[in-house]
Amino acid sequence: MQINLAKGVKLHVMPTEKFKTVTITIKFKEILDAGHMTKRTLISNLINTNSQHYPTQTDFRNALSELYGARLSTSVSKKGKYHIISVSMSIVNEKYLREKDILEKAIAFLENILYYPNAYHEAFHSETFKREINNLRDEYEAIYDDKQDYSAIALNELYFDTEEQKIPSFGREEDLNAITPENLYKAYKRMLYKNEIDIFVLGDVIEENIFNTFKRFKFADREINTQNPFYKLKKATDIKRKTEKQDLTQSRYNLAFNTNIFYHQSNYYVGEVFNGLFGGYPHSKLFMNVREKESLAYTISSGIDTFTGSMFVYSGIDQKEASHVREIVLRELDALKQGDFNDDAMKQTKELLKNSLYHSADNANSMIERAYASMIIKEPQMRIEEWVERIEGVTKAEVMNAAKEVQLKAEFLLIGKEE
Amino acid sequence: MERTKYTSMDETIYEEILPNGLTVRLLPKTDFYKTYALFSTNFGSIDQQFVPIGETEFVKMPGGIAHFLEHKMFENKNGDVFDDFSHFGASANAFTSFTKTAYLFSSTSHFKENLVTLLDFVQKPYFTNESVNKEKGIIGQEIQMYDDLPEWRVMFGLLENLYPNHPASVDIAGTVESIKDINADLLYKNYQTFYHPHNMQLFITGNFELEQTIEWIRQNQNQKNFNEFQEIKRKFPSEEETKVIPRGEITLPISKPKVLVGIKGKKHHLNGEAALRQLIGIEFLLKLLFGETSSTYLKLYDEGLIDDSFNYEYTFEREIDYLSVGGDTKEPEQLINILKNLLLTIENNPDMNEKHFEIVKKSSIGEILQSFNSLEFIAHQFSDLQFENVTIFDIVPLMESIELKDIEKMAVQYIHKENMSEFRVLPKSK
Repeated sequence: MQINLAKGVKLHVMPTEKFKTVTITIKFKEILDAGHMTKRTLISNLINTNSQHYPTQTDFRNALSELYGARLSTSVSKKGKYHIISVSMSIVNEKYLREKDILEKAIAFLENILYYPNAYHEAFHSETFKREINNLRDEYEAIYDDKQDYSAIALNELYFDTEEQKIPSFGREEDLNAITPENLYKAYKRMLYKNEIDIFVLGDVIEENIFNTFKRFKFADREINTQNPFYKLKKATDIKRKTEKQDLTQSRYNLAFNTNIFYHQSNYYVGEVFNGLFGGYPHSKLFMNVREKESLAYTISSGIDTFTGSMFVYSGIDQKEASHVREIVLRELDALKQGDFNDDAMKQTKELLKNSLYHSADNANSMIERAYASMIIKEPQMRIEEWVERIEGVTKAEVMNAAKEVQLKAEFLLIGKEE
Repeated sequence: MERTKYTSMDETIYEEILPNGLTVRLLPKTDFYKTYALFSTNFGSIDQQFVPIGETEFVKMPGGIAHFLEHKMFENKNGDVFDDFSHFGASANAFTSFTKTAYLFSSTSHFKENLVTLLDFVQKPYFTNESVNKEKGIIGQEIQMYDDLPEWRVMFGLLENLYPNHPASVDIAGTVESIKDINADLLYKNYQTFYHPHNMQLFITGNFELEQTIEWIRQNQNQKNFNEFQEIKRKFPSEEETKVIPRGEITLPISKPKVLVGIKGKKHHLNGEAALRQLIGIEFLLKLLFGETSSTYLKLYDEGLIDDSFNYEYTFEREIDYLSVGGDTKEPEQLINILKNLLLTIENNPDMNEKHFEIVKKSSIGEILQSFNSLEFIAHQFSDLQFENVTIFDIVPLMESIELKDIEKMAVQYIHKENMSEFRVLPKSK
């Protein structure tokens, strides 16, 4: 059930008796903008640090403890052409507590920290601001140290053809110097007053009570985006290649492919099965052939971002083996195009896909993510049983056809310095 | 089946003790898709001295044998049991702790097949000396991997001080030396003694049909024969043999020192509600003194003496109970002194006040209720907390009934300087 709290602000109540908690998630969505992402990441961290009425971290943590150990988390993400800030709170359902009105207090707390961030005179509190800038800088540096993350980001940069897609959802270090407490506060106000908002409340709750409680937020009307959320790569481009040298022992070799597989679009269920057969699981072709049979890689797997229609293969290899691994990856893709896979592998892949689908339906956050994804594509949410049927129905010929549309577009190799 | 309803928690447990002695506990939650089953024995790494079933004399087993046995159980005549589970879309796992060994699976389909697989592989041992010897290399590598983990080393360093000459001070997997002595015959001896259904529990929660499931379990168990059960006799070193060593240190190639301060307790013999109260009480105490809402935490954090690795814990198991607190720090000696001092001067601690106690109590109640969303958490607690007639669903009402003055009393009883120890892992100078 959903209701408009204002133009561009929707409240979705998802009653279920499965959990002992109530989860409240607020999502702020805007069209990707290269100049916004680092700021929005900082904003997401600031929201979970302190606020005007809870100015120290202890005040802030105490308030959450008083709400029976409420858990607050914030994050940023991309979905195709959109950038999203999520603020999520999970609290115990008050039917298990002696004290009542906890849900109402929790919602009031959320409203309070969002409308009264730690800002004065149109600028964020400078001490907090400085500390969080430094923390974020540390996080970016940690990413550079983690070669798996680093090489995944480098592949994105190579593969995508627009700046906002090249930048990771959590921004980049070089933007930090230009951010000030003033321009960050402007970005904050844009989030609160201009972004499209979806609020999800999931748990054993009474819908009417939730609607009434959320009326206190007094949201302003805002524009509704009508853009198609799916990002599509320009068709005719050459394969982009890059090799980088760093001081390291294990090399990284990543490949990016363009596919025609988009979230709940015609190719979607086939695409999931295809990825499972190709590199999604331990029984997949890549793992079995590159790692198990030939021992060329420590790890190798594939995954599809179904909002950008791209498939990424990540591997950790011995640097001498890069061309050998490339050969096998392309050979195995070819094998799928030719139908060189057996019914057992199909069956096992479908079982595992169903299993993870059911698991996600036992988790409050995954349930909300699924509901939100269908909001973004503006289609009604598919029942899990129907989804399972679609996966069951995927045929061998369909997998072969889906594989034929997959094209290599970029390769990134990170190797050690000369031995 | 005996039914116990926890009205305030919306939970109902069904329990049956089968003719062969196996305790079966079922907690259906039919609005979940997932089913989670945990088959555990009351046998862990500290159970090294005992009278084997059918014998009369105590024997002493090599360290790490419980964990070794856990590894070997996954192998049967036809190969690897993991394949049987993944064939039916389930994921399986196992773990060994100080006092328990447990085998588990999680599935969303083919529940009956997976359940039977679980019961059958755990109840059908198959070891040969050849495969046992092969396993020594694999487990040896696992032990060495843990040896490289500074967190693991600081914890076992503290345990060596708190429990010298006691099996609790030895890595759960044993040592590369100790596992050399393991052979198929010793594994069978441990197996026959501790894997008797009398010493085991099967716990299932999530999506399953109650009556049908208990019937499947009864049928499966009725087909199998076991020796007559005899009460298990275990032996542990005496108090005198395990006197606390007050300090210790090692050096490792790390950048930031790690410290732990610990106190050995003598409360592990408690049972029933008293045990659960003890567990909750010391956890409250640690949270009051060192939790994120304490003034100590903020002060130490602001002074740069602790970081996010700072942690505290109360371990309460059969035969052992101890508390520990510490983490990474630039100033190991200063932090150790502050932590010890805080533990020894509780009566003057400004964080021990009613207002802070209310906050600690509320957040603790909230945290435990949040964890009840997890079928895994519930199942593991049912295996860990076997306190006669109380269960984890009694925790919240118990938490509500405990008062600050109870905590103060418990602290006085628990904290004695002579049972306190400290351990540090220091950076190796280059």
